[in-house]
Amino acid sequence: MPLAPPSSAIHVKNATPGFLSTPGRTPSSVTIHPVALFSILDHYLRRTDEQDRVIGTLLGTRSDTGEIDVRSSFAVLHSETAEQVAVDMEYHQTMYELHHKVNPKEVIVGWYSTGSNLNTYSALIQNFYSQETAPHQAIHIAVNTGVEDGEQAGVKAYVGSPVGVSPKPENAVFVPIPCELRFKESERSGLDLLLSASSNSSTSTSHPSTDLDILETAIQSASDMIDRVLTYVRSVLAGETKGDPAVGRYLIDTLGASSEDLEKGGFHASLQDALMVSYLANLVRSQAEVSARLALTTAP
Amino acid sequence: MAATPSMAAALAASLPAPQTAPTPAAPTYEAIPASMSKVIDIEADIPVTSVQLDGLVVSKIIKHSREAQGSNAHGLLLGLDIDGTLEINNSFALPHHFTDDDDKSIKGVARYQASMLRSLKEVQVDDSVVGFYQAMTLGSFYTQSLVETQALHQDKLRHGGIVIVHDISQTARGNASFRAFRLTKAFLDAYKRNNFSTDSLIDHRLTFSSIVEEIPLRIRTNPLLSSFLETLSAPAPMPSVDIKPTTATSTAAIPPSFSVLNLGSGNISRNMEQIVDALDSYRTEEGNLAYLQRQIAREKVKAEGYIAKRKEENASRVAQGLAPLPEEDVNRLFKIPAEPSRLESMLLLGRIDAYSKSLEGTSSAGLVKMYAAKGSAGA
Repeated sequence: MPLAPPSSAIHVKNATPGFLSTPGRTPSSVTIHPVALFSILDHYLRRTDEQDRVIGTLLGTRSDTGEIDVRSSFAVLHSETAEQVAVDMEYHQTMYELHHKVNPKEVIVGWYSTGSNLNTYSALIQNFYSQETAPHQAIHIAVNTGVEDGEQAGVKAYVGSPVGVSPKPENAVFVPIPCELRFKESERSGLDLLLSASSNSSTSTSHPSTDLDILETAIQSASDMIDRVLTYVRSVLAGETKGDPAVGRYLIDTLGASSEDLEKGGFHASLQDALMVSYLANLVRSQAEVSARLALTTAP
Repeated sequence: MAATPSMAAALAASLPAPQTAPTPAAPTYEAIPASMSKVIDIEADIPVTSVQLDGLVVSKIIKHSREAQGSNAHGLLLGLDIDGTLEINNSFALPHHFTDDDDKSIKGVARYQASMLRSLKEVQVDDSVVGFYQAMTLGSFYTQSLVETQALHQDKLRHGGIVIVHDISQTARGNASFRAFRLTKAFLDAYKRNNFSTDSLIDHRLTFSSIVEEIPLRIRTNPLLSSFLETLSAPAPMPSVDIKPTTATSTAAIPPSFSVLNLGSGNISRNMEQIVDALDSYRTEEGNLAYLQRQIAREKVKAEGYIAKRKEENASRVAQGLAPLPEEDVNRLFKIPAEPSRLESMLLLGRIDAYSKSLEGTSSAGLVKMYAAKGSAGA
């Protein structure tokens, strides 16, 4: 699941620089959890007027294959002026310790900033975080919030490489690496909830609904899709549009599923099971209710 | 809006200092603008009628609950209330404490909490605690610890605080479930007197359904988050049409999902097991209660017998012209046990009810899905 529009940039397999003997693999790809992303956006909203961009620490896990999984993030205080940049290291340390208490598995993997300009200060901050993540390399995630004109929202990940004849902290090349959004399937419904909340923008709200409501919307949208396919197929058959062989292959792949099991009485067996379970559940509920009322009576 | 920070300061100043956190040095704030004076209540006069949950909190709770599965994830909610709506803007997880009564771990948690609040305040996050969240499975959130924590908050927090419960199993099924609750007045009254005997239950008209009351909850995503989500769920243009159908995937970062249409019913057997377990423990609890009741009755009979005997004796003594023996030492001789608390059995009933409710929901949704599948099979 890519996070940014496909770019023509080649993702260079960056070799480990000779003079920086780093054990372990160089980060080859980054996956980011929605929570980390949302925290960054929230931090950006809560910045002070003087702040142009915000930075913070990324926490997550590393795998042996060089994949980095960013699982959460927290804001870090920093100030940038024309002359200097300062990061509140003490704050960073305190917050890391606090997070570590709740989630010992997550370690510092790098840092984020909003906006997409990489400058000398980025190199300096990158240098600071490289010390924090040593012996591993730190990653940098640039979140473009898309609020400025002509810029599209997106997320980009980089690793820093020293450049120049003599290594200096302010000299660095940011090499882009692939970055994807990743979450567990069981967390999917939370995102659906947020999507539905953000789509009714008129009120910007949504009520948590019952299972049946959710089911209804899902069936409704599936039925809409079938209608759309049907119209398309009909128009191809009538010769109004030229059929696309790729679409045809998709269709036969999706709709060719067999439904023989349903015919062979499996349906009725499951139906009886479901009804029985539903009956039992109701029975238990009414018993519990009666029992609660009986507790309120005393013998005369 | 320039007045926002000062508003926050004004509200924060009216709050009780969060546990052990150093009280902020007298904040200086401007007067509340007239247009806002109606919706800001420093004295917490306007009761909370609805809860608004920010998108960030939703995803934070879901992540924490999933990762800490089995070990009961819980954490604190931060936010502000304005004009009867409690806005929850942030949250943080609390470390899992292994032994509740361990004094050291409680102090550790308090220290953690204070230090977290201080740190969050520095990056302009709301730092007033408005309640807590609790993860649960299959709709059963009636536990002693939840009730105790909430009762504790009720005294300490402005508006008494609320609890947000998040159902992990329902979320895994495709319906992210968040509900906001607070304790009812009747329950609180009984809790404060620490009296859950039958009489007290009758007085307060308490059953498991009147322990907590639900507050309507809304989910809000701020405009920045909305637009970002929009970008993520928009499909990118197909790179090429010649991919095989089996390998093709959606190109959007958040593809549309139809997992709710899954016909599998894997959860049902676990749900039923939990009902049976809850019923078993309810029976044990009822057995204990009945035993205690019998013991009380026995002691009472004994005491009454003693009194009657003493009265008879006194009557004969008076008839003989002797001074009567004292009657008031009955209470010292017979220790009538206090009436047992029915709180646990009430909570267990609530749990049974919640389990069967979620079972009922699953099975009815299953029925709909089955008929939908049958319809598509062309029967």
